[in-house]
Amino acid sequence: MSNPTDSMSSVRPDLIEKVTGRAEYITDLVVPGMLHGFVVRSPVVHARIVSIDTTAARLIEGVVDVLVGADVASFGRWGVVLKDRPIIAIDRVRYVGEPVAVVIAETVEIAENAAELVDVEYEELPRATTIREALADGAPLIHERHENLEDFYFKGGARPTQNSNVFHTYRSSVGDVDAAEAIAAHVHEDSFTFPAISHFAMEPHTVIADFQGDALTIWAGAQTPTAVQKVLSRLFGLQLAKIRVVVPFVGGGFGGKASVKIEPLVAAASWKVRRPVRVAQSISDSMLTCRRLGAEITIRTAVDAKGRILAKTAKLLLDGGAYSDTGSAVATKSANRIMGPYVMPNLRLEASAVYTNTVPGAAFRSIGGPQAVWAKESHMDNVAAAIGMDPVEFRLINMAGRGERTRPDLRPLDMDMSELVGRVTQSPVFETQGSNRRARGLAVAATDPANTPIANAIVRLKIDGSVSVSVSSIEVGQGAHATMARVAAQTLQQRFSAVTTLRTDTDIAPYDWGTGASRSTVVVGLSVESAALDAADQIFDMVADVWELPKDSLTLVEGGVSTGSEVLTFHQIFHRALGVDSGEVVGRGGITPRSKKGALAESPLFWETSAGLAEIVVDEDTGQIHVPRYASAADVGRVINRVAAEGQDEGAAAMGFGHALFEELEFDDGQPVNATPIDYTIPRITDVPPVFDTILVENGDGPGPGGAKGMGEGAILPVAPAIANALFSTYGIRITDLPMTPEKVWRALQKRK
Amino acid sequence: MLTSPFTFEKPTTIADAIEAVGDSGESMFYSGGTELLLAMKMRVIHTERLVDIKGIPGLDRIVLTDANEIEIGSRCTHKRIAADPVIREHAPALSTLCDNVANVRVRSVGTIGGNLCFGEPHADPPTMLAALNARLVLQGQTGVRFVHADEFIRSELETVREPDELLTMIVFPRPTGPVTYRRFKHGERPSVNVAMAWSMEATSSTIKTARVRVGALGSRPQPLKAVEDALKGRSIADVRPAIEAVLAEALDELDINDDRHGGADYKRHLAGVLLLRNAEEAMTRGKRSR
Repeated sequence: MSNPTDSMSSVRPDLIEKVTGRAEYITDLVVPGMLHGFVVRSPVVHARIVSIDTTAARLIEGVVDVLVGADVASFGRWGVVLKDRPIIAIDRVRYVGEPVAVVIAETVEIAENAAELVDVEYEELPRATTIREALADGAPLIHERHENLEDFYFKGGARPTQNSNVFHTYRSSVGDVDAAEAIAAHVHEDSFTFPAISHFAMEPHTVIADFQGDALTIWAGAQTPTAVQKVLSRLFGLQLAKIRVVVPFVGGGFGGKASVKIEPLVAAASWKVRRPVRVAQSISDSMLTCRRLGAEITIRTAVDAKGRILAKTAKLLLDGGAYSDTGSAVATKSANRIMGPYVMPNLRLEASAVYTNTVPGAAFRSIGGPQAVWAKESHMDNVAAAIGMDPVEFRLINMAGRGERTRPDLRPLDMDMSELVGRVTQSPVFETQGSNRRARGLAVAATDPANTPIANAIVRLKIDGSVSVSVSSIEVGQGAHATMARVAAQTLQQRFSAVTTLRTDTDIAPYDWGTGASRSTVVVGLSVESAALDAADQIFDMVADVWELPKDSLTLVEGGVSTGSEVLTFHQIFHRALGVDSGEVVGRGGITPRSKKGALAESPLFWETSAGLAEIVVDEDTGQIHVPRYASAADVGRVINRVAAEGQDEGAAAMGFGHALFEELEFDDGQPVNATPIDYTIPRITDVPPVFDTILVENGDGPGPGGAKGMGEGAILPVAPAIANALFSTYGIRITDLPMTPEKVWRALQKRK
Repeated sequence: MLTSPFTFEKPTTIADAIEAVGDSGESMFYSGGTELLLAMKMRVIHTERLVDIKGIPGLDRIVLTDANEIEIGSRCTHKRIAADPVIREHAPALSTLCDNVANVRVRSVGTIGGNLCFGEPHADPPTMLAALNARLVLQGQTGVRFVHADEFIRSELETVREPDELLTMIVFPRPTGPVTYRRFKHGERPSVNVAMAWSMEATSSTIKTARVRVGALGSRPQPLKAVEDALKGRSIADVRPAIEAVLAEALDELDINDDRHGGADYKRHLAGVLLLRNAEEAMTRGKRSR
């Protein structure tokens, strides 16, 4: 047996820090002179701000200042796709929870107490709190104008409809849908809805900002630190090089900390008082900061007499909330993700994102994916039933094969979707006693991550053989830092324990687009691999030069370089080459859309895939759904860290169970109903299937290091439709809106009777 | 979110605690704090002073008295009650209930007294204690009074306890027949719960009297009188038809709110489902023990 020290040396170093309580999150940091901000939020849905009186709050001992809209109106608006957002509400609030003042005080207690004394007078405005209301004739305009930022964060921009609440519409059309429907044997249409869902990260949004003259330091749980840097640079007129974003350990993001969230607000607070300011939100605050976009979806499929899909049409309306954030991209992706891994010769897709007077929508694990796949995979079973075909068979005969394109402008499929279907249907968990073949539902997904192939890495090889890796990827629990260390260790042939990935700090780490879209392992991983190769090349140059050996005779071994006849330690190499017993080589690696002869440029860089098979038991007296068994499969190319990879898949599926059965951020005429961790229910460990099979398919055919693909956003997708399909086939009811609560199921069962 | 500032006292006698809270309305008793501190942090409850009763000896006792009654000190945690040998022997359904209240953190520090005094309609213990015909002992500056569990909760989040009265003990007769409890929940708190307690002679298989309470539907647990009457004097073997004969009528009489936990018709239906499941369990237990 291996000794415990050896096995511990391969454990992710961040996990050891976390379980021993040493890991530092933002609330563990203290910046000298730091003040505390408490955010006063709008209690009204849509209103003009008549006045803000901060006099009483300022009189409290320990209160340093109060930030209000008038202080920062001259900085203008910000955004990452549409510039629609003030730093803090100026003359108008657009949703309950919108920041209207920040009380800045010596302690958080003083700030919170004084916040109760800030007196804001509102004059209510007509509201539009749902997609329907926002699209109705004469609906109040939530934003009067749309300022588009082309290519600012994502490639492209938004396509708003002037004088409406529609801030983006994406259309895609292939072939002739009308002609195909005219000759089809069957045309089947369904409508589905999907609720707003909270990210519910364990660590709420927390930011420390320190404005010092023309320089600004931000400590934030930001998933995209370079986007934070860029937005703050434009907003406050600072050089990028003068803005430092530090990201310590992050307690969950799920997209809720991607793009930019409360960083401009906290930076403005620090700008006002010229001291460091921390704003530590509660989970309730974070539930009012951002959420997944709700959706209304209509989907139609035309099939021929043999059950082959002739045409597919989908119209998706997404509830983007009061500010656009990345809602336009969510809408576009929802249209792409409603296609699925099927051959669809004729296709008409339209997705719009709509402003409403509710919490702003944001990126969330597989943007637009759960909304789209909920509709698409529920619909697939309905179509199969309508034509009297087995739903698995219906999928298999329509599945696009490896190398086939599902749409001309997207990369051909790089996997065998039927292999994943085979793997879940043959999972051993369904062979166990008591398993009921007839109570199962299947769903699959193939999504196009917005991987944005732009990243850099620095790998420094030290004289003692230790290695540091510097990247902008954040460590949000997914294990990215350990993955980068592993890639560097494997490339340099050094022990994993010899490699340290530095904490994320834009002063040190080179540019990367951000941590999201399942991209880090592939895009940043490739950068690390290339930086490590560059470092190796520099070492080989030294050896070749000093020892006068041909470079191609040299190989890296643990602790040094083998010349074929002897092993030179890194010490010997640096000492002889530099004349002193010191030094390091700095390897640089970068990925751009032009890298690898442009092979990374086509979208998506890889297809993120998942198949899910759920077995259910319903208590027909109460409507409660139990899922005793579930199998999840994903094609991940190659596994780099099995525990982390399985954890990502299982975590995504667990989140999918929340979406399927429990979660909805509810609004009643714009007022949040359950935006607290007490009233909002996420699944507990007892609510997820006791028997769960995670199947990771490895064909070594991904674009990442060693053939890896990205992962972690796939397994969330099939859960809800798989359960719904099992309900449909086994109990004869079709639920069309999430979550599938016991009451909804019971009512559907009553109606069936 | 943090509480507004308050002072803190930890007396060692009931009299001192009552004295400390006084009648100014600015102080509150505190023990587990699982509801109170949350409400204070959300700033829906303001108090100048918390008077911690955890330093008072005797409030965490559980005993079976000579009068054949079970006494539970008000500051017993759910965990303590769940594990107590007296409760496990004489009221195992209460033990199981306490073992499943809320979550492990609440069970470890939250107390039965705090649960009752908070007056939360969607709670487990009030329904069970009403079915067990419990009395609550309230001690104030002028003396001690007993309140029936049925009468304790006045309305949502409001009880008959005066601010300077300390709930010291919960007393109920040792059950003589099966006690059953079921709840339905989809989230943190129960949507509906039903508790049923039968009194029986040691050697007989006839129900002397039955108490049935349905909770979480209105502000406080409600009796199902028609079911209680139907079960009175009934043999265990006849329980199911007896209940079924009156169930619809009994459920109709319940006062039910439409709320986030479900529509009234759904919850009315659930109450019936839980009651019948309780009855099945009680019949099995009743037969086994006789």
